[in-house]
Amino acid sequence: MRISVFMRNLLLPLVFAAPALLIAQFQDPTPEELKMTADPKAPGAAAVYLYYEETAESPAHTSSIYERIKVLAEKGKELATVSIPYEHGVDKVTDIEGRTIHADGTVVLLTAKPSDLMDVKTKGFQMNSVGFTLPDVEVGSILEFRVKLRRDEDWYFLPTWQIQRPYPVHEAHYSFRPSSLQKLMYSVHLGSNAKVVLGKKDAMTLDITDVPPEPDDDWMPPMNTLRWRVEFFSSRFATSEAFWDDARKYWATWIENFTDPTGPLKKAVAGIVAPSDTDEQKAAKLYIAVQKLDNTDFSRTKSKAERKKEGLKDIKKAEDVWKQQSGSADDIALLYASMARAAGLKVWPAYLVNRNRAMFDKTYLSDSQFDNDIVIVELDGKSLYLDPGQKMCPFGKLHWKHTLASGFRLTEKGAYFVTTPAAAFMDSTVQRVADLTINEAGNVRGSVRYVMTGPDALYWRQLALENDEEEVKKQFNESMRESLPEGVQADFDHFLGLDDYTVNLIGFVKVSGNIGTATGKHFFLPGLFFESRSKHPFVAEDKRTTPIDVHYSRMVEDDVTYRLPPGFTVESAPLTASTAWPEHALLKTNSKTSRDTVEVVRSLAYNFTLLDPKDYPNLHDFYQKVATADQQQLVLTRAPAAKGN
Amino acid sequence: MRTPLLSGCLPARLLVAALLLSASTPGLAGWFGKTPVPQWGLDAAKHPTPDYAKDAAAIVLFDEYLETVDAQGRAVEREREAIRILKPQGRHNTCEVSYDVDEKINYFRVWTLAEDEKQYQAQDTDFTEQGDTGVPIMLSTRKARIAHPPAVDVGATVICESEELLQPYLPEKVWQFQSGIPVLFQALEIDLPAGRAHTQAWHNFQPVQPVEVAPNSWRWELKDMPALILRDIPSPPEWGAIAARMSVQWGDAAVEGKDNQWRAIGQWVTALEANRPDPSPEITAEVRALIAGAPDFYTKLSRIADSIQKNIRYFVVMRGIGGLQANRAADIFRNRYGDCKDKTTLLISMLQVAGIHAFYVPVDDRRGIVDPDDPSLVGDHMITAIEIPPDVQDPRLMAIVKAKDGKRYLIFDPTNERTPIGNLPSYLQGSFGTLAAGPASQIIALPVLSPDANGTERKGTFALSIDGTLTGSVDTLHTGPEGADLRLLLKYSDEKERRDSLETAVAHDVPGVVLNSFQFVQPSALEKPIEIHYKLTAGQYAHQAGSLLLVRPRVVGSVALPFDDKPRTVPIDLSATGRWHDAYDITLPPGYVVDETPDPVDVDLGFASYHSSMTAKGNTLHYEREYVVRQVQIPADKAASFRKLESAILSDEKGTAILKKQ
Repeated sequence: MRISVFMRNLLLPLVFAAPALLIAQFQDPTPEELKMTADPKAPGAAAVYLYYEETAESPAHTSSIYERIKVLAEKGKELATVSIPYEHGVDKVTDIEGRTIHADGTVVLLTAKPSDLMDVKTKGFQMNSVGFTLPDVEVGSILEFRVKLRRDEDWYFLPTWQIQRPYPVHEAHYSFRPSSLQKLMYSVHLGSNAKVVLGKKDAMTLDITDVPPEPDDDWMPPMNTLRWRVEFFSSRFATSEAFWDDARKYWATWIENFTDPTGPLKKAVAGIVAPSDTDEQKAAKLYIAVQKLDNTDFSRTKSKAERKKEGLKDIKKAEDVWKQQSGSADDIALLYASMARAAGLKVWPAYLVNRNRAMFDKTYLSDSQFDNDIVIVELDGKSLYLDPGQKMCPFGKLHWKHTLASGFRLTEKGAYFVTTPAAAFMDSTVQRVADLTINEAGNVRGSVRYVMTGPDALYWRQLALENDEEEVKKQFNESMRESLPEGVQADFDHFLGLDDYTVNLIGFVKVSGNIGTATGKHFFLPGLFFESRSKHPFVAEDKRTTPIDVHYSRMVEDDVTYRLPPGFTVESAPLTASTAWPEHALLKTNSKTSRDTVEVVRSLAYNFTLLDPKDYPNLHDFYQKVATADQQQLVLTRAPAAKGN
Repeated sequence: MRTPLLSGCLPARLLVAALLLSASTPGLAGWFGKTPVPQWGLDAAKHPTPDYAKDAAAIVLFDEYLETVDAQGRAVEREREAIRILKPQGRHNTCEVSYDVDEKINYFRVWTLAEDEKQYQAQDTDFTEQGDTGVPIMLSTRKARIAHPPAVDVGATVICESEELLQPYLPEKVWQFQSGIPVLFQALEIDLPAGRAHTQAWHNFQPVQPVEVAPNSWRWELKDMPALILRDIPSPPEWGAIAARMSVQWGDAAVEGKDNQWRAIGQWVTALEANRPDPSPEITAEVRALIAGAPDFYTKLSRIADSIQKNIRYFVVMRGIGGLQANRAADIFRNRYGDCKDKTTLLISMLQVAGIHAFYVPVDDRRGIVDPDDPSLVGDHMITAIEIPPDVQDPRLMAIVKAKDGKRYLIFDPTNERTPIGNLPSYLQGSFGTLAAGPASQIIALPVLSPDANGTERKGTFALSIDGTLTGSVDTLHTGPEGADLRLLLKYSDEKERRDSLETAVAHDVPGVVLNSFQFVQPSALEKPIEIHYKLTAGQYAHQAGSLLLVRPRVVGSVALPFDDKPRTVPIDLSATGRWHDAYDITLPPGYVVDETPDPVDVDLGFASYHSSMTAKGNTLHYEREYVVRQVQIPADKAASFRKLESAILSDEKGTAILKKQ
């Protein structure tokens, strides 16, 4: 409910990355372009942008885009359909022209009327899209179109040039002429030597060639760390340092004011902590108290009318959150900071960019990139990072999106930049303990106990806040299917500790089905019960050029006891082995055989979060070994019948 | 105002989605102000939650449609609905109103009655409007107004009332009275002008007779409708095929007898699309060039169909009746794009030039949605019926139906760019469609093709080394709809995506596999199979177990479907008929021989069969299997047979051969 301290920056002229003023004329294709059937610089590409142009003229309130695309394969035909989003009432899309040029030079003009369609509308805001599709498109065609956009006189442009597109770009030209009233700064993220230059009439321009397509891999870090772009900002500051200095000071002042412990809060704190409590006990007690509040990020935000009806005022200070016993995740985090201050603790709020969305970008001169507040408490000279706004997050832990996350933190001397620490793999564990009885037909029946800490436990607990337990059980059941052998059904029984974040979360599951196969004398069971499907990442692709982000480090420990059918003995069990990627990951397997049971233990730990592409060969090699190791089988033989007299 | 029947329509299935959206939802409004919760809403909220709803996320306490039809057959629809939220995840059960350019919302009001009986009314800030712009290959004018009412907590009741002037051209109401949550009470009332007839038809539900509550005003009431949830059911049928619904006709289809009703619906479609296929001079010239020298009927068909499949890009433009009525053939031909009804229109046009009669066939591409017992325009797709001259007997024309007048029609889906003419995509097999042939219109059952019309032939040759590494090559041929699916995958993917897709598929069976090379061979003639060839290496494919070496002879490919042992009440969908054959030879490491193999499998259950065997010859282990599916769907009472089949397949796929040193 509190208004972001950074709203002031949003009051600047609206930033709207939009197409730009049309100045280019259609270009005659060269014979080489007409004949082109593949792009030697991008083998296998379904299309290439021969030319891309985006211009914006703030003084004229016009912008345009102009594209020339060569279709090289069927998939590339998708680029024939164009959608230009715009804000209704602010912009107008005009002067759409397009044509398709066949490989033989035949030109087919766009004659169909573009459609102006509403995307979304709320009170006072409407986004539309103007859409059209170019005619008679075939593989080999050159698609060419241009679009002009006229902006209302009251608004200027402040573009972001997204340099990378889904397909390679041979050549691109960008231009932006700001209004004389706009004070501009910009940030550049380019993987080439191209530079933004100041051109004629104060226009900023960029000419660039050979732009690779935007990256698209599994397990990538947030796109803002990868995508080539140029972002413009209106700024009254001469340097980025000056901008951030000001932003930090402004935030520090605001946060000090919001979290200033007022009388009612001090009184509330006095009722929660005892003078004899240690600082850590105080910190923990207050944490428990704020965790109990209604956290609207996990329940429901009340509408304006509803709040009015219930006599609830806007939240302007931490005290308001306590009074209402309700607030957003950030409200509650800052309430905690305020209460901890009231308790005499050294406590510092921090304002972070969530790592599940983006990474903090210091060159992006906007404080709108921040997402969430956390709190740092100084205990015995050590910093303890807390996440009171994340309901069900244990004391002393952070949601993974707030680990290795950067932003501002408050200190005694003001606000500074901070990056939170990574979580250790020991803080993110899953134990899977199975006790399985096998019969002669290969049928299995038994129970599995899942013991979870860290992000896994937090995920299920937070899911339970927005769903009832039955729904959580169903989703848990569905999530387990991927890890159980084919032919095995899981029937989730119950959770322990679902509503208590101070203990391990335990899930109990009954399993049944058929997992055994047989030959005449032998009987086979999956050696690694939970990994026989072995859907490991990083196995299939042997090369990678993008960094890797696995979100958080983790350890999974399995302990599976097979109770064998009478008359069977173990001929072979999974090998005791250890596969390591030093200082990064470790797989250990071990099996113990007794007269009628086999216990197979497996432990996989990885102690990394973000990796450079140069590490990929090691990562790939490690997971290939894991994948093959997980295919081991447990081989039984029927014991020979005892000889009679 | 809940989930409409066809809410999951894909772009290729948009034909009559608009019909159901409009049929099941009232309209937009910007009329707010303060209006007290209406008495009907207060009365509905007094009902206690019945025991049968204890596991539901929400329950509809009251849902009433009133259709007031004017003399021209155009309806104004009023809906009143009260939904009680029972669980946190039930909060998304709100109200929304869908409308298009030729519809008008008279009002749309929403209230919340909290558990403590406090009353709230949604204000204009509590509504959003969303366009139908999420699909990149579609331009649609349809919109939805969505309420986000206040105070929607567990125990609260959301009360919605709306009124909408519906489009003028669809004289029918489809009442989707079963949904994903239970309904305590629901009613449909149709108020017709004096003398206007109506008919009713029910799908998957015992018919209920209406009460005439006023002269020519008919009311149906239902109580205690259970939720239909197919979650966790393996190989489920289409939800819409199982969900109960009814339809009321008050236009030309309001006549006695199902055949007459289907005829009237077909005639309506015929009239709607009349003259749309008229060929232009350009079309005529194109067809003449295409069929010049064609030796037979099939060749003519094939050349024309092929040209549409290859040259007409799929793209949808829907504006009001444009969701039902095709563009003109000349425009489609000139622009080289169109949706399913456009492609059918162009096909009919081109065939007309070639002297071949063809007709529109509205269908649904989800099996079981169109029900011969429930005449209506429900459906999401348009395909073509091509009249086959009596003297043509060509085995390549497999997807043939015989109409009541004895005429034979080839059923063809020109929107499916990769299934050759003569064959039929699996998703259409076993469905029904309306042959829109003027006075000869009728409902027709789409054929279920022989297993020989679809499938895969896979051969693998491998060598196993002493350390367990498997190297070798796999060659596959994919025919019929399966080949068409692969062609489609290739069409919409680039080189990297193809490699990723193939690697992922192979790695599913062979973890840690490295693809040394791969090649897709795609003959331009669609009736020819698509080929995939690849070479692979898999370290530690075979595992040492003491002195033994364990190897799974079924190296790649799985045909097993998920199954469980829970009681089954809904049909089992087998997806497609077909024949899948695998043959693998594995050369053993020097010094090793086959010690043991699993027993062969021989299962034949009528609807499907599975046979596999492993044999050892010299230093080669040979594995071979054949899986044949003869039906696309089997009833629930065959669940035990289905389990037996799938269990046998799964066991065979996991089967291990034991090698030992000589």
